[in-house]
This record gives sequence, C-alpha cells and structure tokens, in this order.
Amino acid sequence: MSVEKRWFRLFLALSLGIVCLISHANEVTESVTLYTPYTRISVPPGESIDYAIDVINNSKELKNAEISVSGVPKGWNYVLKSGGWTIGQISILPGERKTLSLKVDVPMKVNKGNYHFKVLAGGFDPLPLVINISEQGTFKTEFTTGQSNMQGNVNSTFTFNTNLKNQTADKQLYALMADAPRGWNVVFKSNYQQVTSVNSEPNSTQQVTIEIKAPDKTEAGKYKIPVRAATSSSAADLELEVVITGSYNMELTTPTGLLSANLTAGEAKQLELVVNNTGSSELTDIKPESSVPVNWGVVFDPKKVDKLPPGGSARIYATIKADKKAIPGDYVANIEAKTPEISSKISFRISVETPMLWGWIGVLIIVVALGSVYHLFRKYGRR
Amino acid sequence: MGRFKNEERILHPFRVILNKEISDHVRSWRFIILIAIIALTCLGSMYTALTNIDKAVKPNDPEGTFFFLKLFTISDGTLPSFIVFISFLGPLLGISLGFDAVNSEQNNRTLSRVLSQPIYRDYLLNAKFLAALIVISVMFFALGFLVMGLGLVTIGIPPTVEEFMRIIFFIILSILYVAFWLNLSILFSVQFRQPATSALSGIAVWLFFSVFYGMIVNLITKSIAPSAMASEYQIIGFEELKLSLLRIMPNQLFSEATTTLLMPSVRSLGPLTMEQVYGTIPGPLPLGQSLLLVWPQVTGLIAATVLCFALSYLSFMRREIRSR
Repeated sequence: MSVEKRWFRLFLALSLGIVCLISHANEVTESVTLYTPYTRISVPPGESIDYAIDVINNSKELKNAEISVSGVPKGWNYVLKSGGWTIGQISILPGERKTLSLKVDVPMKVNKGNYHFKVLAGGFDPLPLVINISEQGTFKTEFTTGQSNMQGNVNSTFTFNTNLKNQTADKQLYALMADAPRGWNVVFKSNYQQVTSVNSEPNSTQQVTIEIKAPDKTEAGKYKIPVRAATSSSAADLELEVVITGSYNMELTTPTGLLSANLTAGEAKQLELVVNNTGSSELTDIKPESSVPVNWGVVFDPKKVDKLPPGGSARIYATIKADKKAIPGDYVANIEAKTPEISSKISFRISVETPMLWGWIGVLIIVVALGSVYHLFRKYGRR
Repeated sequence: MGRFKNEERILHPFRVILNKEISDHVRSWRFIILIAIIALTCLGSMYTALTNIDKAVKPNDPEGTFFFLKLFTISDGTLPSFIVFISFLGPLLGISLGFDAVNSEQNNRTLSRVLSQPIYRDYLLNAKFLAALIVISVMFFALGFLVMGLGLVTIGIPPTVEEFMRIIFFIILSILYVAFWLNLSILFSVQFRQPATSALSGIAVWLFFSVFYGMIVNLITKSIAPSAMASEYQIIGFEELKLSLLRIMPNQLFSEATTTLLMPSVRSLGPLTMEQVYGTIPGPLPLGQSLLLVWPQVTGLIAATVLCFALSYLSFMRREIRSR
C-alpha cells in the first residue's frame, strides 16, 4: 500500500511539473494558434475547398490578429469569412476560439501538382496549407457521346445522347450547330425540349439529345455529321456517324397514271408502263410479269430492266392481246414488276369491245332485206 | 307553199290513204280498247315498280348508276314488269291492227273501188302498214314518256343521258317487235279471205311461240341432252343449240334485246366458258357495246319483219282483184 501511494505521488508531481512546463512554453512562444484538421487536400481542377480554421487564444489576455492569406497561386480566388462577413482582423477573448471559414476556388486551368499557401494571423505562427491538384486541369468545354455511330434505314430516326460539359470557370451559353448535308434534319433536345442553345453552369454537365433524320431518298452509305457547341470564347466539336442501309422501293405505274384501257376482242394494244425506283438502292434485273385472263397474251419490251439507279425510272412497253372470245365489258389484268428484293403490282381495268365486224354484217343483212323489198316495188309495183 | 293554195289542198294520194287509215285506226273501238288495256297494265306495273324501287337499290350493284332503268324492269312478283307486259301484249296489238287490213276491204267490196282510183296498187298496202306503224310508234313513245315522266315526278331523280338513250332504244325496239306481228297479220289478211281466219291464225302463231314453242324445244333438247359427265365443250355446244332453237321465236329475240338494253350489266346472252369469265369485273357496259351485243337480235327482228312484208307485198301485188 505504501509503495503504491509513493508511486502515485511521484507521478502526480511529475505530471504537474510537465503541465507547468508546457503552459509556460505556450505562454512564451504562441499565444494565438491557427488550427484546421485537414491541411493537405487533394482535389481535381475546378473544385472549391472550404476550410474551417480555428483561431485559438492561449494567452490570459485579449488578442487581436490580422488575418490574411499569402502564397495563393495567381488566378485562384479565395474568401475568408467569419460570422457572415468577410474579415481582415479578428479579436479573441483569452482562452476562447473563433472559427474562420476559408473558401478557395481551384480554377479549371491549373497544372497538376502541389500548391502551397499560408494563412497568417498577425505576428503569430502561420498555418501552412497544401492543395494537391490530382489531374491536369483544362479550360475548355467537353462534348462527348457514348455512342457516336449508328446504323439504320432511311426512315429511322437516329438518336444520339451526348454530354456537354462546361469546364470553364464561367457560366456559358452554348449555341448548338450541326453541319449536316442538305436535306438532313438535325434536332437538338435538352430536357425533352427542342433547343438551339443550352445554358450551362461552370463545371456542370448538360445532357443534349441529338436526333438526326435522313432525307427520304438518301443513298446507302456512311454519313458524317459534325456537331458543334460554341460560345464566343470556346467551342467543342463532336463528330457523329450515321450509316444508312439501303432500302428497296419500286413503283410501277403508267406515264399518265391512267390504269384503264379499251381493247377490241382479239386485237392487241400497246400500253406504256413506267418503273420508278423510289428506294435508295440500285435495283437490278427488274422483270415485268403479267397475270391476265385465259387466252390473253402480254409481251413486254424490253423483257428485263438490267439496272435502275435510285430515283431513276424506266419505260416498259406491254403489248396486251385480248382473247378472241372475250365478252364485252371490263376485265382485270395484273402487271407486276419484280426483283428478288421487291415487287410492285398494278391492276389494269381493260374494257373489251366487240369487233364492229358483226355489226356491219347485221347492217348488210338489213340492207339486203330492204333492197329486196325495193326490188319487189320495182318489179311488182305496176308503175 | 302559202301562195299556192290550190297545190296545198291537193295532197299526194299516198298521204290521203295514209291519213284515212290513221284516222280509221284511231277512231276504231278496237284500238281504243287495246290502248286502254295496255295503258292500264303498264301503269299497274309501274305502280308496283315504284313501290318496290327502294328494295331494288342494293349496295355494290354494278347497275347502281342506272337507277332510272329499274322503273322498267323491277316487279314484286304480283304483277309483271313493264317489259314483260310489252312483250306479251305487243303482239296482240300488232295482230289486231293488221288482221283485217286487206280482206275486210275485199269483203266489203271497197278494195276494187279504191284501186279503181288513179293510184298505184301498192300504195294501199304500204299505207296500211305505215299507218298502223305510225299509230303504234306514237302510242309507244307516249307510253314510254308517260312512264319516264311519272317516274321523274315520283322518285325525283332525272335519268342520265345514257339512261334516256337506252329507254329510247328500248321503245324503238318495242315498235320493231310490234311491227313484226303487224306484218305477219297483214300477210295473213292478204292470204285469207275471212278476217276471222286471219285473226285466228295470227293469234295461233302468237300462242304457239309464247306458250308451245318453248315446250317443244324443251322436249327435243331433253332427248338429246348430254350426260352430266360430258365435256365442257359438249355442254356448251348443247346449250348453244338450245339457245339458237329458242331464238327462232321473236319473243326470245325481243326479251334478250330489251334485257340487255335495260340492264347494262348484262354482258353476254349465250353460255360462257370459265375461260371467258375469268378475270372479268362486274360493271355496266357502255351503250354502244350493249347495242352491239343485241345487234344480231335486232337484225333478226328487222329481217323477219321485212320478210313478212315482202311476202304480203308479193302476194297482194300478184293477186287478181276485180269487182263482182
């Protein structure tokens, strides 16, 4: 027991001595201390850092301290505030502490590395702070998309989702432009609204949807559509690629659009047909075919169209011959133009007329009958 | 003409006979009774047509545009339609106007008196034929326009030009048909001395054709009908034979012709093979094509009429006529 007490007294005396020593030293060297927990912070460019700095008065008297920041790199902004005001001097009661807030804006355009600066409090010890810029900073706009290439047919709408990142220090108004080939339709959309420009806060990302529609008769192939987001000071380009797959479309008609014809039974008539390539791919080996009533005949000239470029048209002459025994009235004759890819069909309404021959024979019989009566008149008229 | 009053008064002798014949017809009780019967039956059939015309309009009917023609063709079954009445009563009219043309004059001893005038002998026969024809024509046109006018008043839809032309052709065809029967009865009146005989023979021919001939043709064709297993061509040949036998009848020719004229969707009158039908679209024929279709029938009717006239002419001119 006595041993333990003795040890305790010794420890007490020692610790008292140390405390007296330390407090004496503080009094002598630093009566005002600046303190913040995070003295080395790592941030990407464009961030802003909020420091909470405690100013502690260790002395037994009231202390006034000029607060300033030195060594902040050029172009960086900082604000020193306390109690809602920007301050330059602070006064602290003995044994009290005050909290300062220091806000440092790291600009976009900054090199990678460590940046040192100090917070000074009058003649007391400064607080050294280090900001580590984790990556190379830029001062520009980024215009990106995850998928810059799309494929589809002429009629599809190509929708690109793009991100417009404002990495400048200022709020920007971007004008959106596309340099599409003539006839193409490019629509920019932001928040589901069709727009021509977007507003962007510094260091924020705007999502812009770009919808592209090709003109109806676009030929198959790759098309590059450069889009651009520009301000007066900076611009960002993005190149979108659209691959149009060819479409096959064909139209069979007549030059006048008339789909009816008159035809005397047993006789032939030439009809003029037009094949239009309304698709975006070249058509090859177009063969005209017919399905007509029994004993009718159709001869095509030419028998085959070898090649028809998109938008092109070709003439085909069809000589259609009606059956000798066809009854008067309307018949339907179908003519179809075929390629392995597509076909187009038209129905002709063909009004068959009976030949006049029998009509004239009938007239002849009547004339003969009347002539014989006239002969009777002459012979037996007793004139 | 006004200056030469004398010339105006002296009509051509043929005109004189013609006028006399026409006035005889118009004033005769026989004609008045006949025209009353025909007018009544036609008005009756028109009444049924008008009460049923709303049912006659069907959707997708190729004859839908020929609404007005339906006045002449539809009936509800209680009373025959206009064209059936004309084909039935027309011959009666023709026979009654012609059966005593020559023989009654002969029996009344007026024939030799007329012929002793300074006229050609054939003037008499020609005038009798022409007078009856004119009376019939006037009557039929009047009836046709009566039906058209009443139809116009009742249904309020005017006929199109084509419909009108079809009706006119139908009336002309009816006149032609009656003219045939008229000539036939004139032929009988030349041949037979007694008017009763010639009237009876005319009616006998009419009855024969409208009742018995069809039965006889049926009897004959039944005996030679091909079996059900026969080829298509045999069946068609048989049907054509049957049809050509029937077409000896003037009523058959008339009904085929009027049906085609008043129902424009009729495209053929004979049997059709599948090959001819395949690919056809139902639709009305233009008037010209309808006329061409019935042209053989019309030719046949005209030829038969002219033949009857020629025979009676020949017979009349070669006859010895003297006063007793």
